[in-house]
Amino acid sequence: MGTVLAALWSPGWIRRTGPRPAGYLNLLMTFIALSHSSLALVQVWGKPAQVFSWSWLQAAGLNVTIDIKISALTLGAMVLITGLNLLAQLYGVGYLEMDWGWARFYTVVGLFEAGMCALVLCNSVFFSYFILEILTLCTYLLIGVWYNQSLVITGARDAFLTKRIGDLILLVGVVALLPLSGTWNYDELAQWATSGAANPQVLTGISLALIAGPLGKCAQFPLHLWLDEAQEGPLPATILRNSVVVATGAWVLIQLQPVLACVPLAQTVMVTIGAATALGTSLIAIAQVDVKRVLSYAVSAFMGVVFIAIGTGQTELAHLFLLTYALAMALLVMAIGTVIYNNITQDLTQLGGLWGRRPIPGLAFLLGSVSLVALPPFGNFWPLAQLVQNLWIQDPKVALVVIAVNSLTALSLMRVFVQIWGGKPTQMTCRSPEVLWPMIIPLTVMVGLALHIPIILYQWQLLPASLDFSANSTISLVVATGLGLITGAAIYLSPAIPKPVSLPLPYVQEFFAKDFYAADLYRYTVVAIVAFTSQAISLIDRYIVDGLVNLVGLVTMVLGQTLKYNTSGRTQSYTLTIVVALVTIGLLILWPLLQLLIISNP
Amino acid sequence: MYLQYFLLLAAALFCIGIYGLVTSRNAVRVLMSIELMLNAVNINLMAFSNYLDGEVIKGQIFTVFVITVAAAEAAVGLAILLAIYRNRDTVDMEQFNLLKW
Repeated sequence: MGTVLAALWSPGWIRRTGPRPAGYLNLLMTFIALSHSSLALVQVWGKPAQVFSWSWLQAAGLNVTIDIKISALTLGAMVLITGLNLLAQLYGVGYLEMDWGWARFYTVVGLFEAGMCALVLCNSVFFSYFILEILTLCTYLLIGVWYNQSLVITGARDAFLTKRIGDLILLVGVVALLPLSGTWNYDELAQWATSGAANPQVLTGISLALIAGPLGKCAQFPLHLWLDEAQEGPLPATILRNSVVVATGAWVLIQLQPVLACVPLAQTVMVTIGAATALGTSLIAIAQVDVKRVLSYAVSAFMGVVFIAIGTGQTELAHLFLLTYALAMALLVMAIGTVIYNNITQDLTQLGGLWGRRPIPGLAFLLGSVSLVALPPFGNFWPLAQLVQNLWIQDPKVALVVIAVNSLTALSLMRVFVQIWGGKPTQMTCRSPEVLWPMIIPLTVMVGLALHIPIILYQWQLLPASLDFSANSTISLVVATGLGLITGAAIYLSPAIPKPVSLPLPYVQEFFAKDFYAADLYRYTVVAIVAFTSQAISLIDRYIVDGLVNLVGLVTMVLGQTLKYNTSGRTQSYTLTIVVALVTIGLLILWPLLQLLIISNP
Repeated sequence: MYLQYFLLLAAALFCIGIYGLVTSRNAVRVLMSIELMLNAVNINLMAFSNYLDGEVIKGQIFTVFVITVAAAEAAVGLAILLAIYRNRDTVDMEQFNLLKW
């Protein structure tokens, strides 16, 4: 609703009032949606899921239905989405103060919100794909809001194409599912997959295709570069992207988990990709100087943890983790945004010494950090501890990876905190006032949410009932977190270490800072191949296909040009032509007669 | 069997006329070659009327007409030639290739 209404205030249409009503209207709509979904959540709490279905398309032998599932889980996700949208949009009111593009921004954000709500309600893999594609388009538009900047344009392009590739492979899987299972409904797919009616090899192929869509959506290796470049977009949108949008892929993956659980290879692939991404991107995050990018790589890392959780079949934990993670990440990005808004630069090396004057964002960032990594009693500790404990039994290596990722992320977040709020004020930060209320209010509300989430989880009995705190896994997890936090603080607060910290091996530092040279990797492999092929095809089209047709015209033209020289202008040559033609025709007509003569007079 | 000899003679004359018609550079000689060809035709007509149509001799009537028409044609031909000669001061056929492509 808000999307269409907000579009009315785009600068071209209503010139006099300015862009602000678009944002206010969208806030109102989001608030109504939040209230509605909260009330609905109270209603369905503790009741079994209700399923609705409408027919969308009926063709011969094909009945595509829109399946909706109303359960406590889907409505809970809707509350999370609309709630975060409300806060991010209010944040946008402050952040986009000096911006004319409110109509465009709020229109696309409204479409995002609608798309994500539709995604969580939808119970059909076909419509999930449908909505994922719409969200991909929205990502393109939202990153490209400030389209007069060249980096924004390349970033939006990469985000669209990278996510598109994943979605297209997902489409392959979705289309291949229907003839085999006869349904796109998640519940029926789960029944079909567990009944074992499918050919294992075919199912393996389909599962790998189904993983590829969320792989691109969640910014996992090797389709992770887009999230880094997507940090060029406006910051309120980044809050949503980092916390919620990347989770859409994980949501679809969780829904598909019953199908994927039947394929051992798919599970191995998921765990491997998740572990590789988590480890790689948490290392990359430490080597970034752009503060938004530090957070974007942390997003990839924790989405990798979600992949690990789904790959090992722990969907409940994955859901819980998505909730706690989204709140923590939104808090982090909001806190960073208030700093960027007033200090202009995003370069960590040029920020510093803000603790005395900017305590609220500092506290918020600190709380977001400890909520994101596993530190009891804050949010993410509970799912992560449970995950590590389960993994410790299933596969200790993966558990170690999760612990390491946790520790590295703690280090990188602590580094960000100390670089911005610790140390001495720099030239960029020597005058840094606190931001206005529309940005601080959502930030503090988010702080409250992050603080209350363990209590809420406890109230809702979502916490693991018997978490064994004496387990080695939990202790090592917490110790690793603390180690990461303390190391980060120690390195960046200690005056003994020279401040642009350089590793003894400069090329290793360079390697991580440049994101494993992923951009170059793309450029020299996929992009180079596609560019070469398209150039070759273009040349073939221009010179061979077009050339053949043009050759016909050219030949007729040359023939006309040449044959006209028969008209020599000499009367005698015309006479000769007439004589030769007459003799030839005469000979042809008389040929049978001449043959007779020759035969009769041997 | 004499008819064939007449016909062969006429054919030879006609061919000589054609050869002259195609190769001569002097326009007057082209007209002369045309006269040769017409005369070859006349020999043919006379031979046919003598050997095949001795009673009614339609060939001789034709011959008289051909001679008359040939005289008129030669007169007009020479007139055209003189008209060209007045303009271009030459009767060389090679110089008359103006109406080409």
